[in-house]
Amino acid sequence: MNLSISLSPTGWQLLAAGLQLIGGLLLAPLLPGTIQHWKGRLQGRRGPSPIQPYRELRRLWGKSAVSIEGTTAVYRLAPVVAAAALGTAVLLVPITARAPGWGVGHDALALAGLLALARFAVAASCWDVANGFALMGASRDLTISVFVEATMVLAIGVAALATGSTDLGVMIAGTAGAGAWSDPMLALGGVAFAIVVIAETGRQPIDNPDTHLELTMIHEGPLLEYAGRDLAYLQWAMAARHWVVLVLAAQVFLPHPSSVQGQLVLLPFALLLLCGLLALTETTVAKMRVLRVPRLLAGGALVALLGITVGLTRLA
Amino acid sequence: MLTALRTTDVFCDPGADHSSRAPAQVGDGVISTVLLVGLGMIAGGGVIGAGRRSMTAGLAVQAIGAGLLGLAGFWVLLSGGMIGQPFGSGLTPRFGVDGLSGVFLGALGLVAAPALVFSQRYLHPGRSGRAITALTAVFLLVLALVLCARDPFTFLLGWEAMTLLPAAVILVHRNGDDPARRTVFTYLAITHLGGVGTWVAVLLLAHAGAFGAAVTPGAGTATGTGTAIGTGTAIGTGSGLQLAIALAALFGMGTKAGVMPLHVWLPRAHPIAPAPVSALMSGVMIKVAIYGLVRVLVDWLGVLPVWFGVLVLALGALSAVGGVVYALFQHELKRLLALHSIENIGIILLGLAACLILRAEGAAGWAAFALGAALLHTVNHAVFKALLFLGAGAFERATGSLHLDRLGGLLRQMPWTGSAFLIGAMAIAGLPPLNGFASEWVTLQALLRLPGYGNVLDGVAGAVALAALAATAGLALTCFVKVVGLVLLGPPRARDAEHGPVREAAAPMVAGMAFLAGVCVLLGVAPGLLFGALTRLAPWLQAAPAASSSGASAVVAIGLHLPGTGGLPTAGIAVALVAAVAALSLARGRRTAAPAPTWACGQQVDARLNWTSAGFTKPLRLVLEVVLRPKRRITVRTVGGVTQDVTYRGHVPQLIDEQIYRPMAARSIAVAARARRLQTGSLGTYVAYLIGLVVLLLGAARIGVIR
Repeated sequence: MNLSISLSPTGWQLLAAGLQLIGGLLLAPLLPGTIQHWKGRLQGRRGPSPIQPYRELRRLWGKSAVSIEGTTAVYRLAPVVAAAALGTAVLLVPITARAPGWGVGHDALALAGLLALARFAVAASCWDVANGFALMGASRDLTISVFVEATMVLAIGVAALATGSTDLGVMIAGTAGAGAWSDPMLALGGVAFAIVVIAETGRQPIDNPDTHLELTMIHEGPLLEYAGRDLAYLQWAMAARHWVVLVLAAQVFLPHPSSVQGQLVLLPFALLLLCGLLALTETTVAKMRVLRVPRLLAGGALVALLGITVGLTRLA
Repeated sequence: MLTALRTTDVFCDPGADHSSRAPAQVGDGVISTVLLVGLGMIAGGGVIGAGRRSMTAGLAVQAIGAGLLGLAGFWVLLSGGMIGQPFGSGLTPRFGVDGLSGVFLGALGLVAAPALVFSQRYLHPGRSGRAITALTAVFLLVLALVLCARDPFTFLLGWEAMTLLPAAVILVHRNGDDPARRTVFTYLAITHLGGVGTWVAVLLLAHAGAFGAAVTPGAGTATGTGTAIGTGTAIGTGSGLQLAIALAALFGMGTKAGVMPLHVWLPRAHPIAPAPVSALMSGVMIKVAIYGLVRVLVDWLGVLPVWFGVLVLALGALSAVGGVVYALFQHELKRLLALHSIENIGIILLGLAACLILRAEGAAGWAAFALGAALLHTVNHAVFKALLFLGAGAFERATGSLHLDRLGGLLRQMPWTGSAFLIGAMAIAGLPPLNGFASEWVTLQALLRLPGYGNVLDGVAGAVALAALAATAGLALTCFVKVVGLVLLGPPRARDAEHGPVREAAAPMVAGMAFLAGVCVLLGVAPGLLFGALTRLAPWLQAAPAASSSGASAVVAIGLHLPGTGGLPTAGIAVALVAAVAALSLARGRRTAAPAPTWACGQQVDARLNWTSAGFTKPLRLVLEVVLRPKRRITVRTVGGVTQDVTYRGHVPQLIDEQIYRPMAARSIAVAARARRLQTGSLGTYVAYLIGLVVLLLGAARIGVIR
């Protein structure tokens, strides 16, 4: 049943597992950094350097955290739990078809649970500090997440139908090569997953990560009451969220080779391509009204459902 | 490539031993003794508890009895045997326990024991408290009676008593006040109307001699669709009788379980019972209805047509989404929890529907996993919902209110109760590493198999149900963030002035809740302890020994490792999460600046800035406006062109109540009023009716309608 046990771990696989850990835990902040950098370029500015997130993390690590009057352990634990959930998610998402497990399995639906845990921790902390702006952000984030979860599970369903498993390793192997693209179902699933990526990374047109206006915040709002290392954890968790969904998008919903070596070599380029696409969307598309967002996501869910229907008609 | 989901249904090592499934001879007597002692202690505890000074002692005896009952139940389940007599369609009373009864007896013990310990301090030892103690004992015995009944008559007797007893408890608890009487009337009216379905189903089964038609190996081979598995009943697959029984059972037992749109009694009746009885009603009573459904649909009726499975799937999706959506807009804690019971019944039905469809499509292994998913969620929901109801009872005792906007800050004031409640809330929201996550994960996996096996239409139905379950999980998360925030966190909100200071609940109450919280963690970290045994309950696996090892081989560990998934090593995930939390906490250190107030653009933070339950759910209310049709009224009072005050009232009406039940009730009252005109009271009219009837009968005999 467990892929990682039945295969003998070769050098490539160990390398893949190591790179998964290094990439997810250490290199993840490069992804939002690159997007911000390119976005600046596209908008005719010089833009911050791609390593700007690291500078921010270093600055935050040196500062003291704040403590809000009247809060409980929920406020103190929220950043830690969010970062731990994302850390576990990084362990769970393999970067190639064959990678030894880290003891947490490789299941796509388990990933949804971990992302929900991080969301719960952060939203609960907003109630603890009782900050109106934070709660506004949290209530919007949760509203959107209802539709994100449905769309994400359907997109996973498309990939599972195409590959026969919700094991992410099997999914990466099953969607490799040109054969998987012979029918449109994977492409339709990819469209749905693209919307999930935008929602999970908190990018335009769903959320504006650059906003400084509290009333428009979604993902930034709940962070308002945090500083120092707490904030560093939360920012790292956001970067890890970029890593997890972009790796999935690259290795399942973008064309990729079937050999482990090829997958490893092409992954950075695929991630850069996706970062470029996100920067381009952020530059060209305006932010939507918050209440319009569920409609966009529901559209994504319908596209995924269409993908499943297409797949089933071929099967029948 | 596309067929891959099908091929994952592999059943390896056919040589695995099935000896565990043979009726366990060793220990039968021990289990029976434990069971009977448990029942005796519940009865004795009821008698003792009715005494003037001995309510607490009586509850303790009952709690031990319930614990023994649960122990015996799980023992029967895990040993794979059965005790007592088998099912029979005759009139003589028969009693016995098999694996399926064992699951529900186990859940009964798991919920009732802590609830009774909790009651020791929750109930006042006055007259009503003692009466409730005695009634609780009878209620538990009746629930056990339904689960152990092996003949139709005892089953129906227990079923009816199970409906009546909570009504009695509610009336005693509320001293028979007016709203309670009205609620009890609605409850009895609806459950009795629905009860007709149960009677019809059970009597038809008994008439066909199929009440408990034992599935004998090789008795009925695949019929109907050709791929279907394990039909061993006296009733023909696809026959009218089979469908009639299935539909009647779905209607009757669905009403009792609170399936939408038959749920209207549930959010009314559950909240006004005393908290431990609410826990028993939500945790066990509606589960006993699920027991009936599983018995009839899975155990006895053989393979049902696919469309019936799709019907159950639709009802499950409706209940899941509808329950949680209406729960979101509730501002009263116990009513909110009651609506969540409807949601969870929906999730259980989704698993059950997946089981029915997959079985009809011939996917033996995944059908068994889907059954396991439904039963696992049944146990899990019993545990966390009981925990939440007990917590609500503790909060009500401490603050005098259950209105969400009047609680707040209770995690600091009641740290033990608050922490246990937090664990329950995270479990029901389906968060790892707690038990709700594990069973929702298996249910999602089972639904994901529907597109893999079925034809296009039920595949799409499965995909829609999959999205509905995912959205339900998101909505439940939102709802319980709201509940946790409003009840446990933030500043204490408007409290009743006359109520004294808030104190931590008494030790027995905390003990009951802590036990349930521990079970939430245990079943979250090690769901495999139960899941393997639950999948083995599938009758088709017992009928076809070649495939029967699937459950055992796929679910060996304490986690969930199903074929065609990445597996859910729950313990691994829990260890990773806990280790990461510990490491990150250590790395962060304790350095903080001096405490500061919450930042609100430089304003002083005061009570008027507190967020409310309605405010937090407003974005969802706006998004779902088209479906929910919320009502609101804004009144602006102006004096001399100057606005004095603005009041806003809004609520989300229960559409099924307003659109279906209210017109139906109004129409039946109108019809009744018209029918009453026939009853004039004058003798002459009645004589005229008689003459008219005789003439009518004679005429009918003349033209040959009557012979």
